[in-house]
Amino acid sequence: MLTFILRRLLITIPMLVAISFLVYLGLELTPGDAVSHMINPEVANSISPEQLAEMREALGLNKSFFERFSIWLFNVVQGNFGHSLSGGVAISTIVLDRLPATLELSIFALLFSTVIGCSLGVISALKRGSPTDSALTVIGMLGVSIPEFFFGLVAILIFALNLGWLPAGGRLLPGYDSFFDRLPHIILPGIVLSLMMTAGVMRYSRSAMLDSLSREFIRTARSKGLPEWRINLIHGFRVALTPVVVLIGFRLPTLIGGSVVIESVFQWPGVGSELIDAVRGSDYPLVMMIALLSVFAVLLASLIVDILTALIDPRVRLG
Amino acid sequence: MANNLALSVKDLKTFFYTNKRCNKAVNGVSFDIKKGKTLGIVGESGCGKSVTASTIMQLLPKLSRIEEGSVTYYSDNGEIRIDQLERDGPEMRAIRGEEIAMIFQDPMTALNPVYTVGYQIEESLKYHTDLNPAERKARVIELLADMGIPLPEKRATEYPHNYSGGMRQRAMIAMAMSCNPKVLIADEPTTALDVTIQAQIFNLMTKLKTENDTAIMLITHDMGVIAELADEVAVMYMGNIVEAGTVDDVLRRPQHPYTRALLDSIPVLGRGKDQDIKSIRGATPDPYERPIGCQFAPRCDFATEACNVMPDEEFLSDTHRVSCARYKEIFENA
Repeated sequence: MLTFILRRLLITIPMLVAISFLVYLGLELTPGDAVSHMINPEVANSISPEQLAEMREALGLNKSFFERFSIWLFNVVQGNFGHSLSGGVAISTIVLDRLPATLELSIFALLFSTVIGCSLGVISALKRGSPTDSALTVIGMLGVSIPEFFFGLVAILIFALNLGWLPAGGRLLPGYDSFFDRLPHIILPGIVLSLMMTAGVMRYSRSAMLDSLSREFIRTARSKGLPEWRINLIHGFRVALTPVVVLIGFRLPTLIGGSVVIESVFQWPGVGSELIDAVRGSDYPLVMMIALLSVFAVLLASLIVDILTALIDPRVRLG
Repeated sequence: MANNLALSVKDLKTFFYTNKRCNKAVNGVSFDIKKGKTLGIVGESGCGKSVTASTIMQLLPKLSRIEEGSVTYYSDNGEIRIDQLERDGPEMRAIRGEEIAMIFQDPMTALNPVYTVGYQIEESLKYHTDLNPAERKARVIELLADMGIPLPEKRATEYPHNYSGGMRQRAMIAMAMSCNPKVLIADEPTTALDVTIQAQIFNLMTKLKTENDTAIMLITHDMGVIAELADEVAVMYMGNIVEAGTVDDVLRRPQHPYTRALLDSIPVLGRGKDQDIKSIRGATPDPYERPIGCQFAPRCDFATEACNVMPDEEFLSDTHRVSCARYKEIFENA
């Protein structure tokens, strides 16, 4: 088990290097660079090419692509993540600043979608073919197919603008206001982000549950004279859990990477909305760092999924 | 007479409803299972053997129901009409596993893959006995040891996939026998196992029968298994019992053309590979378009117009009964 985890962690290193190279290349291919974004277009004509070249030299942008990539990689390996090109703030400071907001939102959505999604999926499977099942199926399909930004805008329109029950966006910093002042801010983005995940988890747990209930060990359990709740939950749901855990596990990266769309719609100051700003500003050290974090989160999540699967299903052995 | 009976089934009809059509899967079946005896039920696939077993346990799928007839279980506290109990109600649950237990064809799929064998056996004990957890653990180990599983302490903590096929079926039997049921229904218990393991399972079942006085209902399509294990036999075809009696009655003096055809279709060891195996011509009819009258008539070599009426059951002796309009003539000519 331990060697398995160590080996998987070691494999992530070459993968991280390869992926960071690809992201770096992608940024290189986008038109313009940090300097062209830093300069106000209105004053662009009054700046001489020499001055521009000086600025580029100061930021190290005049070196070749491979040179810049090696310097960046070398610094990252040493733990020096560099500074934002646009603001000059240390990148570690920016990320640490943004991460709590993203974690808060993602954990809310993950818990909500797991609990509600699994419960509704199981109910749907147990009442297969009933009006409840049909209604949940329609809702689930809508949830999976309607894009989340649309949900977000509709939710803001109804609950924030028309009804005025909840704030339209933003997040209050912890420590300044009470918990109950801050709570309303997370409800809308949290639920909208959850909706799609809930719908997915529900559809998935419904089919996993139906599959599990049609297996022969359910008949065995019934032939032992066990009560229905035990047959359905202890025998049925336990076996249906494995595929559902895999699905939920692959949502874990949003914990760190954030949901770019939802964070932008609700002006949630998380990692996702920071990524958008960084890409717009060709702030490549910042983009690189967030991308690396997300990639690392994905690799870590797949490791966690593997470990969880082995814990849930004794037939799976790690090796 | 009645006190040596464990279970009695009278004129049982179980129908399945799909797409507004009705499949008369079990269409008037009667038999008794006596304490400490084995009743073998033979027949080809789809003849209603397993449905009969599921009906007794009330483990039928949702779209099926007991249409007519009765299933009576003779418990220590009097007769219980199983067919009148609520399907998954408390009385039915109290009978399942405790009074009547069941073992299935494929022990790999019949055991839950994510729980240890010990846990699954203990589950029955938890719901049917007053034993405390420590006593239950001890009983599980005792049961596994009784079934001839080596290192029962260790084996109890292992999962079904750690077991071999024969061991899984033993574990399954241990689970079924955990509460000393009076009736054990074995639905093709050795079909998924290889022949050497089959013999071990049969020895185990014979031992249980004699030691615990358990009545066994053995469902199979293998005449060899019947000859080996059963005291009485019922031959089923298309939801009816066509012939029933003691093993001697049915295997040595078969009366029904179907029973004879079944016996003729078994290859005999030693006759070489060129031996003439008589298969039964035709195929089992579509259950939705049944022949009128005798169900076997379209495939029977002896069918005449008399077979267009459902034949009555006739008793040749106290034990031997047959449903065939022409069995007397055929028997004389043979």
